[in-house]
Amino acid sequence: MSESKYKQYIWELPVRISHWVNVLSIVILSLTGILIGNPAFIDSSPTAYLMGWIRFIHFVCAYAFAVSVIARMIWSVRGNCYAGWREYFPFFSKEGRKDMKDVFDYYTFRSSRVPETVGHNPVAATAYFGLFLLYWFMILTGFAMYAEHAPGGVMHSLLKPVYLMFTTQQMHLYHHLVMYLIIGFVINHIYSAWFMDIKEKGGEISSMFSGYKFTTSRYAVCKSKQWEFFPWSGKKN
Amino acid sequence: MDSKKAISEEAGGFSVARLLQERGVSRRDFVKFCSTVTAAMALPATMVPKVVHALDKVQRPTLVWLNFQDCTGDTEALLRSANPTVGELVLDILSVDYHETIMAAAGHQAEAALEKTVKEFKGKYLCVVEGSIPLKDGGVYGCIGGKTFEQIAKHVCGNAAATIAVGTCAAYGGIAAAVPNPSGAVGVREAVSGATVLNLPGCPCNADNLTAVVVHFLTFGKLPAMDSHGRPLFAHGKRIHDNCERRPHFDAGQYVEKWGDDAHRKGFCLYKMGCKGPATFHNCPTQRFNERISWPVAAGHGCVGCSEPQFWDTSPVYRRLPNVPGFGIEKNADTIGLAFAAGVGGAFAIHGAMSALRKDKPAAEETKKEGEE
Amino acid sequence: MAKIVVDPITRIEGHLRIEAEVEGGVIKDAWSSSTMYRGIEKILKGRDPRDAWYWTQRFCGVCTTVHSIASIRAVENALKIKIPPNAELIRNIIIGIQNVQDHVIHFYHLHALDWVDITSALKADPVKTASLAASISEWPNNSPTHFKAVQEKLKAFVSTGRLGPFANAYWGHPAYRLPPEANLMATAHYLEALEWQKEVIKIHAILGSKNPHPQTFLVGGMSIPIDPDSQNALNADKLITVKRLLAKAQDFVEKVYIPDLLAIASFYKDWAAIGGGVGNYLSYGDFPDPVSGNLWFPAGIIRNRDISKLLPVDQQKVAEFVDHSWYEYQGGKGKGLHPWEGETEAKYSGPKPPYEHLDTTAKYSWVKAPRYEEMPMEVGPLARVLVAYVSGHKETKAIVDMVLAKLGVGPAALFSTLGRTAARGIDCLLNARQTPVYLDMLINNIGKGDYRIHANEKWEPAEWPAEASGYGWHEAPRGALGHWIRIKDQKIFNYQAVVPSTWNASPRDAKGQRGPYEAALVGTPVAKPDQPLEILRTIHSFDPCLACAVH
Ligand code: HEM
Ligand code: HEM
Ligand code: NFV
Ligand code: SF4
Ligand code: SF4
Ligand code: F3S
Ligand SMILES: [Mg+2]
Repeated sequence: MSESKYKQYIWELPVRISHWVNVLSIVILSLTGILIGNPAFIDSSPTAYLMGWIRFIHFVCAYAFAVSVIARMIWSVRGNCYAGWREYFPFFSKEGRKDMKDVFDYYTFRSSRVPETVGHNPVAATAYFGLFLLYWFMILTGFAMYAEHAPGGVMHSLLKPVYLMFTTQQMHLYHHLVMYLIIGFVINHIYSAWFMDIKEKGGEISSMFSGYKFTTSRYAVCKSKQWEFFPWSGKKN
Repeated sequence: MDSKKAISEEAGGFSVARLLQERGVSRRDFVKFCSTVTAAMALPATMVPKVVHALDKVQRPTLVWLNFQDCTGDTEALLRSANPTVGELVLDILSVDYHETIMAAAGHQAEAALEKTVKEFKGKYLCVVEGSIPLKDGGVYGCIGGKTFEQIAKHVCGNAAATIAVGTCAAYGGIAAAVPNPSGAVGVREAVSGATVLNLPGCPCNADNLTAVVVHFLTFGKLPAMDSHGRPLFAHGKRIHDNCERRPHFDAGQYVEKWGDDAHRKGFCLYKMGCKGPATFHNCPTQRFNERISWPVAAGHGCVGCSEPQFWDTSPVYRRLPNVPGFGIEKNADTIGLAFAAGVGGAFAIHGAMSALRKDKPAAEETKKEGEE
Repeated sequence: MAKIVVDPITRIEGHLRIEAEVEGGVIKDAWSSSTMYRGIEKILKGRDPRDAWYWTQRFCGVCTTVHSIASIRAVENALKIKIPPNAELIRNIIIGIQNVQDHVIHFYHLHALDWVDITSALKADPVKTASLAASISEWPNNSPTHFKAVQEKLKAFVSTGRLGPFANAYWGHPAYRLPPEANLMATAHYLEALEWQKEVIKIHAILGSKNPHPQTFLVGGMSIPIDPDSQNALNADKLITVKRLLAKAQDFVEKVYIPDLLAIASFYKDWAAIGGGVGNYLSYGDFPDPVSGNLWFPAGIIRNRDISKLLPVDQQKVAEFVDHSWYEYQGGKGKGLHPWEGETEAKYSGPKPPYEHLDTTAKYSWVKAPRYEEMPMEVGPLARVLVAYVSGHKETKAIVDMVLAKLGVGPAALFSTLGRTAARGIDCLLNARQTPVYLDMLINNIGKGDYRIHANEKWEPAEWPAEASGYGWHEAPRGALGHWIRIKDQKIFNYQAVVPSTWNASPRDAKGQRGPYEAALVGTPVAKPDQPLEILRTIHSFDPCLACAVH
């Protein structure tokens, strides 16, 4: 990137692996999911076991996806501060809210100052939090639908609260609909990554491969570390 | 006078088995009947002697059947039952003291018969409820003899040993409870809190399952194990889709596309015609109806999910997924989802175009300050 | 005058309450009320018109096919869909066996105990019973041993001291007039009919998965595929089973039901002068020919018992009033609404439960009051048979004349409680004989290689016009049934059903005219006001279905 910038190691390996496992599994889950919802293939041969395989792939990716999401959550307490859980809640602190406003103003053409973020862009981070909720919605409804082949089994019993909240038909519907919310996120996300890559000139996209970002200052600062989340915790530094 | 005495003496030594015998039912047939119901309860064959033994001893237990907001479909289902037939069930196995559709007495005499049973057999009789119970506006949408269904249900179910809610209406509200639920209909469990209720949904319920529940109760003195919707596991423990004879076609990706097409005639899977088998827990594919002749999928029509709570508002007959709340019936999940995705894409395309034209201040100025702090 | 109340009326479908004023052992005035409401017409609004049959089917599980038929016919009428001949024939078979089975159940299990004293059967001589039975029919089960066995069962049952559903009834009432042998014969056939009905109705299971509530109806056809070379479709094996069951159905009607009906009726001829009612009769006709669409059973109207004139039926002239029903119309009181404009806004204004009496001067029922040109109409087998008889329908004429001759009465006897009960038997026999004709036509058509079962072109809602309205008529067991639908933007905009029991059980209308039950009760004798056996006779002769009536 630009020679006048400093190279910083931001995304540790587990973050990157989890990110790309998620990307891959979500793409496959969506493709297979759409086919499960609307089997468009016709005149399939009885030996093909076509729907069987599609569902099998869906379930394999579902496990990969679930493991990856859980791993990422664990890493949010073990990894560096950019991976930390605080990053996802900028709106809980005054400083965070101010940063969000800057980004927001820039996105909506209210200001022309390009904000620079070292770790997560606070608006994006908020979206990631929402996305994680959708992940969990998909995982819970997905496994709840999956476990219905063996009612009374361990998985079925663990997921009891899901069955109390939704009928099976509703699970199918919302599992299906939330896929589109995720697709909506992905469109936004890829656009924004590309957009900030150009505007911020921080190597945004490549960072998710290499782990490095380029910043204008020598020291990378992880702001969320200084954010105050709990009124009772004293001010640090 | 002495005939009356004879009656009471008879009653003491009375058992279902003996009565069946007097009625000309052979011991062999009786044991056969026991094994049929044992199988219906999904119990192992080793349980047959226990069932035989229990029915040998048991006295003709009392049952009352209440019709509320119903269509009498479950009563009709009972009339079609074969193992045992309704004749055997009503005349030999049970003492059906109240059932408006078949009983000879009417009006005050009918009400008196019910009251007598509730008093004399308090805590001992079985109650069957067919139809939902309207709670709106003080229950004026359902009355018998000037009393609301709710009042009757509280009194009769409340004093029963157990209540079996037959049909989806009695179990969960069913047809009458569908949006906008004009009468405030609910199922028995919701209307009579505290009563022991087993749900036997289905629209109508399968009479074989009802018989099996009754026999289970007589044999073991308690209701069979239930799932979280209060349904007996022996009848609702597995998904239709997992027992369906057309499942291989589902897995193979062979579907009916049009009514009467080649695939339909060959008996392919009805998934794309809206079959709710994947979302329905019922033993229709194995138990079937009318002495196992058929069941919906075997007759070329998808399952509607009639034994599931909320099926009435979440199972459009010919669409696999429910309608999306707030959207019309023509807008399915995919049209809405694709429109949403296209909208998002469009919005960012515009954003991108506008951004290409804008002039930015460099990020450096401010961030530098911050970095130096 | 003290009103007597019979609530619940039992041995019917649904929740019916009769209030009556009795003076000098005769009913002076009567009110018919249904006390249960679900509001399914409201629930239907906004749903997929193709789903309507599933919902309306659940109006009633007794006449379990009729609303499905009327509903798909209404939607097909609105969308101008012509169904393939096979589908029409299968529907005719389903309709036919529904009528036959429903009528037999009504006669033996819902109506017979009004005329038959079961306890008197204990005193019968089985040998004499057998000779009585042999004198009227060649039914093989009518043997002394069989009647003896039935009597033994009955004795064993009574000796338990637990009479179950037969407890507390009106046994020994002076209005019972059959000799013990006739009572035993009827009791034996009560049990046989119980066994028989579950067999013959398997036709619905073969053609449509199950009964009650067969799941096979489709807008545009039927869902049971036809293919003689498939094990998953209607093939020769299944058709032959249907044939065998139809024969079994007909056999029982010819050899048991009709002879029993005539034998019992001959003891109660005075009931040919009781329970006439409104005297106007309406039939929509039914059994369309699969090709021409002509109805085998004719449609028509008879007014004021005038059997010299048959009037045509015009759907525009049907309107429902709610002046004595617990509803309110937006347009206010006193007016009837045609079903396309119909409204179902519940507004209860009766007494607060628990109550003793309804205020019959005000609104007193959940049943609306349908009128044809503002006149109350009786519908049902009697109306159907009268209309066919007057129109010169030859199959009907033959049976009616035979029955009248056997009973030694003239056609005027038909306008009565007994006439209604006899007409049901006649109707049953007509159906039992005609249904096999449709099966043969179906077999014939399949033999020609026509396997079509569904008209697909308009299945997808995208193919529909933005607005459409239609109606579907059907002669259900209890009479003229009409569903009216309006479709807008692929959804149900309005749905109204005017059901046989809505006509018959209707309360008074804006002009204060009584409904058919009410009118028929006036003049009915009541020997013991606390044992309302005669009320049951006249009311049961209509075969009430209140779940149907209110829906
Ligand atoms: C982002 C992640 C996911 C996406 C986009 C996705 C997408 C879909 C879609 C569109 C369907 C079709 C729904 C219908 O129309 O009925 C589906 C079905 C299903 N999904 Fe997922 N899914 C995801 C994650 C999961 C997970 C984590 C599981 C866990 C096991 C799972 C299990 C299932 C099951 C069991 C079905 C129903 C299969 C059937 O009915 O045969 N899904 N999925
Ligand atoms: C299914 C598609 C995708 C999903 C669901 C997704 C999701 C995510 C999530 C949840 C994060 C936060 C990382 C974390 O905290 O662990 C993230 C970050 C990131 N993703 Fe993706 N991603 C997707 C595809 C992509 C693609 C295709 C690219 C590259 C063009 C990309 C580039 C990035 C970058 C650069 C970041 C870090 C930026 C930041 O947090 O400010 N993502 N993504
Ligand atoms: N009334 C009536 Fe029905 C009939 N037959 C329907 O249309 O009974 Ni349930
Ligand atoms: S559950 Fe179905 S069959 Fe039973 S009363 Fe309700 S609508 Fe009728
Ligand atoms: S027909 Fe229905 S239940 Fe059977 S396999 Fe297909 S989707 Fe499943
Ligand atoms: S509609 Fe009902 S009857 Fe069985 S096949 Fe489906 S649960
Ligand atoms: Mg109506």
